[in-house]
Amino acid sequence: MWLPLLGLILGISLGLLTEIQIPEIYESYLSIAVLAALDTLFGGIRAHLQHVYDDKVFVSGFFFNIGLAAALAFLGVHLGIDLYLAAIFAFGVRLFQNIAVIRRIMLTKWSERKNQ
Amino acid sequence: MKKTVYIRFTIILLIIGFMLSVQYNTVQDPKTRDTRDIWAIRQELSVETETHSELLSEVYMLDQTILKYENMVNESAEFALKDTVEQLKEDIGLDEYTGPGLTIKVEPSLESIALGQPVEGISPDLLIRLINEINRFKAKDIEVDGKRIIYSSPIRDVNGKTTVNNISVRNAPFTIKIGTSTFEDAQKMYNQLEASTIGDDFYIDNLKLKIGEPEHKITISAFDQTINNRFLKEVPEGES
Repeated sequence: MWLPLLGLILGISLGLLTEIQIPEIYESYLSIAVLAALDTLFGGIRAHLQHVYDDKVFVSGFFFNIGLAAALAFLGVHLGIDLYLAAIFAFGVRLFQNIAVIRRIMLTKWSERKNQ
Repeated sequence: MKKTVYIRFTIILLIIGFMLSVQYNTVQDPKTRDTRDIWAIRQELSVETETHSELLSEVYMLDQTILKYENMVNESAEFALKDTVEQLKEDIGLDEYTGPGLTIKVEPSLESIALGQPVEGISPDLLIRLINEINRFKAKDIEVDGKRIIYSSPIRDVNGKTTVNNISVRNAPFTIKIGTSTFEDAQKMYNQLEASTIGDDFYIDNLKLKIGEPEHKITISAFDQTINNRFLKEVPEGES
């Protein structure tokens, strides 16, 4: 349980300590990639809780979503349409849905434990 | 099975954490603040306004040339072309210049005469500095010790002697002639040179600048050497 949290803390401290900065023009790409990564993460947690977790789906989904989101943003910049909004919308909606499902599962588990 | 899941999540969270902190770093990066005060901005504005008016006068001049071409195309295109060639020759210094301007005399300083120090020639660096200064004040034509300065005139040290156009410059005293567009410009140049700190730089080298009064008519000799043209080629006759 604590191992993933440790990974997160390690990642954040690694990023903060190295003080890596990216050029301003790529900022939107990174933010959308972060969103895609979060979406995949919560999707993975949900799948894990629902016992339908698949390793390949999770890992491929993580990288594919990030790549797709960045590609969409890139295309949007070159076409002059804010296509990244589509990705933000899709990922945002899915993020909320996943979190809602996770919450419900947690609540059910909690109430079950309370009843026992 | 469960362990591999946790490891996967750990790796993904590590990547997410890294991305988040990079994003944070980028967003937090303090932008360079504009710390100029009103005065500095005003000064910049005045420089830009000057450029603007210069560009406008250039546009006006080019418009005039176009107008001239249009007027003359029916009568005599050749005359207009010749006129332009003459104008260009005058602009780059292939023709003698007669018009308003002023004369600067470079002399040994009184101290060096009094102390009996040997008079040394002007150094190329100092001469370049002076010419840059003069050009900054919008000189039209410059002649240093009888040598006309054009766009490609070299000023350098050859065997310890300062040369302009590959001809050595005499030891002080010698004269520098400056041609300006109008007499008002010559007056302005006189005032600017008087106020400039270039005289102090000369004083360090035991030289003194004696800036002459603006004159209505001075003569500056033409550039008497050939200009090497490496890039432009003449179009053979019959082609255009």
